[in-house]
Amino acid sequence: MTNFNWLLDGSIVGLYLLVTMVAGLMVRKYVGKVEHFLVAGREMDVYLGIASLAATEFGIVTCMYTAQNGYEKGFAGATPGILMALAMAGVGLTGFVIKPLRDSGVITIPELLDKRFGPRVRWAAGVVIVLGGLLNMGVFLRTGGQFLVLVAGLDVRYLEIMMTALLVGVSVYTILGGMLSVLVTDFLQFVVMSLGLILVTILILMNVGWEKLVTTVETSYGPGGFNPFVNPTMGWQYVLFNLMLNTAAVLTWQTIIARVLAAKDAKTGRKVYTRTSFFFVCRFLIPGIWGIAALATLGPVANTLEAMPRFLSTVVPAGLMGILIAAMLAADMSTDSSYMLTWCSVIYNDILAPFRKKPWSERKGLFWNRTIIALIGVFLLLYGLWYPLKGDLWTYLGVTGTIYLASISVLLIACCYWRRANSWGAVASIIVSAVIPVSYLVMEQLPSTAAQAKSIGPYYSGIATYLLSAAAMVIGSLLKPQGSSREGVA
Amino acid sequence: MPQHWFWWALTGACVIWYSTITVYVAIKGAKDIKNMLARLDAQSLNEKEVEES
Repeated sequence: MTNFNWLLDGSIVGLYLLVTMVAGLMVRKYVGKVEHFLVAGREMDVYLGIASLAATEFGIVTCMYTAQNGYEKGFAGATPGILMALAMAGVGLTGFVIKPLRDSGVITIPELLDKRFGPRVRWAAGVVIVLGGLLNMGVFLRTGGQFLVLVAGLDVRYLEIMMTALLVGVSVYTILGGMLSVLVTDFLQFVVMSLGLILVTILILMNVGWEKLVTTVETSYGPGGFNPFVNPTMGWQYVLFNLMLNTAAVLTWQTIIARVLAAKDAKTGRKVYTRTSFFFVCRFLIPGIWGIAALATLGPVANTLEAMPRFLSTVVPAGLMGILIAAMLAADMSTDSSYMLTWCSVIYNDILAPFRKKPWSERKGLFWNRTIIALIGVFLLLYGLWYPLKGDLWTYLGVTGTIYLASISVLLIACCYWRRANSWGAVASIIVSAVIPVSYLVMEQLPSTAAQAKSIGPYYSGIATYLLSAAAMVIGSLLKPQGSSREGVA
Repeated sequence: MPQHWFWWALTGACVIWYSTITVYVAIKGAKDIKNMLARLDAQSLNEKEVEES
């Protein structure tokens, strides 16, 4: 039984959807060029950047896996958020990688790699980024639909219809307004999402109470619920893998980097990073507390991913339920729109680049960008419907993200700071970092190798990917005869 | 001081920081959007003038 009231909560959700769609569609008149469509004419300022970055990097899927982390690992489950905040603050303060990247004036990361490693590496990097990104995003829709169906108490049969409706709505304003619509809707979505997150957290802290949360974690997980190093499901390998993963994400995750590239200048991009960094602690800890509260209230459940929405459906009162669902829709829509636009920018700018003999007109460029976003939407719908998720969600996202995070972070750092880096090292790094995670995912799915995959585990596989990818860059670059590499960009 | 003070302090910091930044960004971000759209409008006017001349 859920507290969702169709009249009161339905009106709040309807109003939010109406305002967002109108705002998203209103700015489409400012889109005259591809640069407006992909990077908002590079006119984004600090606070809009903070709102957009925070809204993009918090979707329903984020809320689900961070709550699952809280449910399964206690407070220690928030460790990746702390590591990501540290990485983001460090990069923002020093300008490491993001300064040369923004100063170069490129639209995507592979475009910068082209300047150092050549067009083939640019194309390969584009393919790897899109492959990793789309596989990663493939589970967003189903997870988002799962949350909404459970919280609103709808029949599970409506999950697919809800997924489709959500995606169509987001696609319409993204296709018409590109990055400008994304930024403006992200801003509205940030405000609505934050309001819902804060109010529900305060409600939970008041109703369940801090003492009960702590006692539940102590009883269920002992000291491991507070310290990741002594947690039997985490340990040093979990912390190290997440440190590598989050640092690489901060440096190269295209949806995060898109905010740096859309910023007015490198200084603005750095400020956006520094001032948003603490949000990444909230991003893990707030839903983590919801997950712990679900454990304290519901006890052990069969599907840990569904524990938090089931718990919220019974404790959040009517009125606040509408704000919560509007907040989660806001979170999901901002993430979906930004992700679709980002992967579109890479497909258009880097993968299709070799097929453009002459530069396309702005009109033709806009047409192709819009078509690519529509095709991404179709792919997400199909993939989201048939992929059966095994293991925990955060690990799946980590493994699929690693396909590109490992190699692209190595390539980008080498491109900016190592003069000996060249195309041989770049290609070797891309191959190594794609082969290991893809093999792991395949092994996990096949019954004959599933046990082996389990014994290796995602963390060792992930750490190996980052280390071997860096080693491949060094070895490959040193093997290529000197004098044939291009100029550095730093 | 409550037990597990680190997580207690971090949770408190999250609620306070997030509430504050939401209000601040809501005000400042709206101004950013207004200025961004004004700059894009001016750019497009300039480009039209150049095309016409």
